[in-house]
Amino acid sequence: MSRTLMQRLFEPTSIRDMAIGTKVIVYSILLFWTAFVLFPIYWVLITSFKTAVDVNSGPVFLPFIDFQPSLHAWKELFVFDYEDTLKAYVNSLIIALSSTAASVLIGSMAAYALARFEYRPKFGVVLTFVLVMIAAFYAVGAYGVDWRLASASGIAVFVFLAIALGRYFKARLSNGDILFWMISQRILAPIVVVVPIYMMFQQVRLLDTHIAIILTYTVINLPIVIWLMYDFFRSIPIDLEESAQLDGATRIGVFWDIVLPLSRTGLAATTLLVMILSWNEYLLALFLSTSRAQTMPILVAAMNAGERGILWWSMSVVIIVMIIPVIVLAIILQRYISKGLLLGAVKG
Amino acid sequence: MTVVLDKVSKSFGAVKVLHDLSLEVQDGEFLVLLGASGSGKSTALRMIAGLETVSEGTIHISGRDVTNELPKNRDVAMVFQSYALYPHKTVAENIGYPLKIRRLARADMEAQVRDVAQQVQLDELLDRYPKELSGGQRQRVALARAMVRRPAVFLMDEPLSNLDAKLRGHMRAELKHMQHELGITTIYVTHDQVEAMTLAHRVALLEGGRLQQLATPRAIYEDPENLFVAQFIGSPPMNVAHGTLEGGTFIVGDDRVATGGSETVRNAVIGLRAEDCRVVAPSEGQLHAKLFANELIGDHTLVTAKLGEDTLSIKASKDFEAGFDEAIGIAFDPDKIYLFDKDTGARIDRRG
Repeated sequence: MSRTLMQRLFEPTSIRDMAIGTKVIVYSILLFWTAFVLFPIYWVLITSFKTAVDVNSGPVFLPFIDFQPSLHAWKELFVFDYEDTLKAYVNSLIIALSSTAASVLIGSMAAYALARFEYRPKFGVVLTFVLVMIAAFYAVGAYGVDWRLASASGIAVFVFLAIALGRYFKARLSNGDILFWMISQRILAPIVVVVPIYMMFQQVRLLDTHIAIILTYTVINLPIVIWLMYDFFRSIPIDLEESAQLDGATRIGVFWDIVLPLSRTGLAATTLLVMILSWNEYLLALFLSTSRAQTMPILVAAMNAGERGILWWSMSVVIIVMIIPVIVLAIILQRYISKGLLLGAVKG
Repeated sequence: MTVVLDKVSKSFGAVKVLHDLSLEVQDGEFLVLLGASGSGKSTALRMIAGLETVSEGTIHISGRDVTNELPKNRDVAMVFQSYALYPHKTVAENIGYPLKIRRLARADMEAQVRDVAQQVQLDELLDRYPKELSGGQRQRVALARAMVRRPAVFLMDEPLSNLDAKLRGHMRAELKHMQHELGITTIYVTHDQVEAMTLAHRVALLEGGRLQQLATPRAIYEDPENLFVAQFIGSPPMNVAHGTLEGGTFIVGDDRVATGGSETVRNAVIGLRAEDCRVVAPSEGQLHAKLFANELIGDHTLVTAKLGEDTLSIKASKDFEAGFDEAIGIAFDPDKIYLFDKDTGARIDRRG
């Protein structure tokens, strides 16, 4: 036993190599934890087969023994109300998958650019752009100027000012500033921006459409994708990319052949996280959808609002069908979330 | 193919790391860029590869101006210090990657990969992944990947520094043989002067971003242009003793050494190679020193002696024996001494 305290703390022995007594203890702890984690899911599952009487008459745990399972809640949602349920389900799937795909695709490209290229925009130019855009918005809002005219002249004014004044600006921003600006968009609580977002989509008549919710989710998830993927891309040795460049690959070629395969782990984890966030999002969906684009979380919450009190059984059914796609995705992506992907790349 | 650097400079912000480097590498030549870390040698190589921009000057490869070309358009292949193998590709895919990018037919590609793999004795390992290889094998994969597409120029950035000493000696010989056989112009960066001396047709010694001397290994050893070169090249490095040069006589402590010239330099340095010195009785030597230590190396004894503040190394016969702090004389052929101006580092020509 030449292992130091640090090794014993941070490099635990494999369960297979443990003494029999230790093994029993470790397995019972793990078993207890598994039960602890899985119990809520079990509870929701059996509740979905309970009747109102079973729920209200105190806790019952075992189907066929404690209570007689009934399919009434399932029937209600999938036979009588199947149109609403199916619609919300399809809406949720379309919105979550599209916005996840869009934010992971755009976000990982942005993260790669921030990790590998140096940007030094002049602070004054960025400020000019923001001021000109505010002026253009104000012109549209307060004086009823046509928005096409306002944005076109706004861009023209900006280009003119940038060329005329650009060389007088000295202070420059760096990649770190850009990265922080992006993550700061996420620090902002959604409740603060939900009304402006609502009014924006109202103006362009996109309320209660898939595209409005997909766009919003993509935007709110982009900072997370960029932040996470930036770290993954930075951890890839730059030698590999330089080597590929010398081997004749283009920038895009390097990204596809070398960077993406090596960041599979990060992409899988990020995709899963963003997917779950979009799938569960409630607040923005509540504002942006009324009927046609309603998603599952809204449907679940609706179970709480009927005049019959909280419909635990129906809510459980919706929750069960809601977690299935996430579980499926987690199982698919789990095999990519493996360690040691970069082993053997450099030195060793 | 030739590589020509014309007054190439590189600055990172306000820091200039390379000053007006001009080099002409001949077709088929093995040129070694030698220097300590921070000497600008790797920056120079990366500029030739196109991985760093050129601040000033031009670079021509095979007569074509590539100063502002992308790396992929320069027809150069590089072996990185870290090998930079693609961990998600097998050995065969790693070697074949440059060919895959060039959209070679599958059959041709496999044949060429097999051919190159055979040359570096990797043909048994083509289906392995880099993590399943030893350091020496990874090194070979990196070499094979550079060789497979017959580039105009090979660039190597300390390719042997991650190998253990024994393997390094072996790979050095292999590299030299391979370069001779392929006849491809090679630019090789190293901080190891033994590597430079053994591999190079010519050595370019850099220090502080400036070229100190560009010459064949023999010339750079026997005819160093300045004090820095003299002390960088050779193992052990050239002995130096600080003194004064007065009308052609070098004065160090109580010793006076006739140099055959007639200069007067207040701060002068005398240089002597370890193998040009002999340990003799104190009465017979031109210089008088105290023995500091002697180490039996095998075929010779390395004697370290103290001469004032300076330490001298002398190669003596393997039978040499003497006690610590014993007074010894150091004898040498007057033709074998080098003189330098301490303040400028410049060589003083004795015959001038």
